[in-house]
Amino acid sequence: MPFLTFAFRNLLRHKVRSFLTLVGITASVAVLFSILSFNKGFEKGIVKELDQTGIHFMVVPSGCAHEVASLVLHGAIIPKYLSVDVVSRIRQLDDIELVSPILVAQLPNPAKDRVDLVYGMDLKHARQMKPSWIIDGSLPARDDEVIVGAEIAAHDRLKPGDMISYPNKSRSFRVTGILQKTGGQDDAFIYMPVKTAQLLFNKPDGATAIGVRVAKPDRINAVTEELSAQVPGIQIVTMGQVLSSLMSLAASAKVMSISLAIIAIFISTVGVMNAILMAIFERSQEIGMMRAVGASRLDIFRIILKETILLTAAGGCAGVLLANIGSHGIELLLRKSMPYAPSGNMIVFDPFLAAGCVGFSVLLGFLAGVFPAWKATKISPIEAIKG
Amino acid sequence: MIELRGVEKTYIRGAEQVHALKGITLSIARGEFVSVMGPSGSGKTTMLHILGCLDNITSGEITIDGMSASSLQEPQLVEIRRKKIGFVFQQFYLIPGLSVFDNVSLPLLFAHEKKNHAYIQSLIELVGLNHAAKRKPHQLSGGEMQRVAIARALVNNPKLILADEPTGNLDSENSDMIYALFADLHKRGLTIIMVTHNSELAARAERVVRLKDGLIVRD
Ligand SMILES: Nc1ncnc2c1ncn2[C@@H]1O[C@H](COP(=O)(O)OP(=O)(O)OP(=O)(O)O)[C@@H](O)[C@H]1O
Ligand SMILES: [Mg+2]
Repeated sequence: MPFLTFAFRNLLRHKVRSFLTLVGITASVAVLFSILSFNKGFEKGIVKELDQTGIHFMVVPSGCAHEVASLVLHGAIIPKYLSVDVVSRIRQLDDIELVSPILVAQLPNPAKDRVDLVYGMDLKHARQMKPSWIIDGSLPARDDEVIVGAEIAAHDRLKPGDMISYPNKSRSFRVTGILQKTGGQDDAFIYMPVKTAQLLFNKPDGATAIGVRVAKPDRINAVTEELSAQVPGIQIVTMGQVLSSLMSLAASAKVMSISLAIIAIFISTVGVMNAILMAIFERSQEIGMMRAVGASRLDIFRIILKETILLTAAGGCAGVLLANIGSHGIELLLRKSMPYAPSGNMIVFDPFLAAGCVGFSVLLGFLAGVFPAWKATKISPIEAIKG
Repeated sequence: MIELRGVEKTYIRGAEQVHALKGITLSIARGEFVSVMGPSGSGKTTMLHILGCLDNITSGEITIDGMSASSLQEPQLVEIRRKKIGFVFQQFYLIPGLSVFDNVSLPLLFAHEKKNHAYIQSLIELVGLNHAAKRKPHQLSGGEMQRVAIARALVNNPKLILADEPTGNLDSENSDMIYALFADLHKRGLTIIMVTHNSELAARAERVVRLKDGLIVRD
């Protein structure tokens, strides 16, 4: 019978206590693993989404930097509009490959007693601007055709070919495609050609933002400098800035959540230490006997440490497993409570992270076990087994 | 095989000093069967622990197999306990979660030794428990538990068995059985030192040592 088996048998002697201690470790490692997986997935998701976006920077009315971040990735209402001639002035610059105005506005829908969100864009650029989109049906070919987000489609039971009408504007649109669920804010918009939106809202050439792609990426800086020198009242937000502002938003949430997980882990580690100390206290006679039949102090130390590590390692494995089983639910919960979420799965199973978490539990077992194990070596065999 | 010369043992209990042994001189030869008697508090357990290298002495000299043990450090004492001595206690101290077989094998874990299954089984047979090798301690009677403890004491093949009131928790029938087991081991050549309050059992041993107030009053 090896030491490990012996340690395992000892844990089995107090099934309820060992189980409860295990639950504590399992829960806190599950929380830690979920948070780390989420952070990883979240950052990857943002980087990927920005990478796929075919635009290099956004031009917006000055003073709206924060809203831009969400606008770039998913629509947001910005109450200011760019002046009429900005689009044409950007087009006059050198090395511009793509200029795509976007107009986001609210459209009252009294028939349904709600306000619809309209996203006007050049739908020819949809693939570049919104690379993660999957559309059932086709892109609008005419001015009076639209595609709708999954949420609206589900709510109004729309399918390609249906009509949406706005009697107050005396307009109606034919739905050519339904955007598959993205899990983000895109699901709540109606997308139409930007020209149509401009007419609908009485803003010919108006735009909430303008996406720009430069022909040579190394010219981005030169182009943005030239642009801000020439056109007043605009602000330029590059994808790098969007990324860093989203990341800093995520970073503070990360610090908070990781601190919470660490506190949970600290508490459960103290729980483990307590359980093991109790077990040693109860078993002091037995430990004395083991010393008498030939166990050295080191042997006793090893047994106790193995018990602790066995407990926390099992808790760690169970925690990682639990987090994986529950990841779908956690993901839904997080999406609901986050201002911005990239499409796709945010919680991705990473074997290295899983191994890291299990390794961390082993380390915890070591830390929780050292003191009790040291205590156990101090048990005097003659005190313990006095006849 | 073991010699004590002028051994004193003083415990410090708070401010007071307890003189548990006040100068014990005792020589035990290989193959002897010695029973130790004496009133409660006379120092029997203390002497047994010193003989078993579980406790250090305050003054005097202790020699095991011609080697002075008074100056030995913990690692050597552990070696002696592992290889040369088998302990049997009044309360058996079996480990509840382990089978008879695993309880008997326990000292091998600390000796970092492997012994084959048949060897353990032969010890279990020797103490008359071959029908119960797979049972857990709570499924055994007191006498059976003590027999497991004796098998455990034998597993490292020691020369010396130290037993502290091994029959103290048993009825007379089981006590007789345990004594008979010791007598059998003695016949096989083991040296046995047994502390007992049972004068009838003690009288059966070839040598009886009497302690009183930390001194040997009769040998
Ligand atoms: N760890 C200790 N600290 C202080 N005093 C002790 C300690 N161990 C034993 N003593 C004292 O030493 C004396 C001898 O104790 P010991 O246990 O050897 O007696 P004993 O002969 O085995 O008694 P019993 O028959 O009751 O088991 C007693 O007075 C006891 O109180
Ligand atoms: Mg005693």
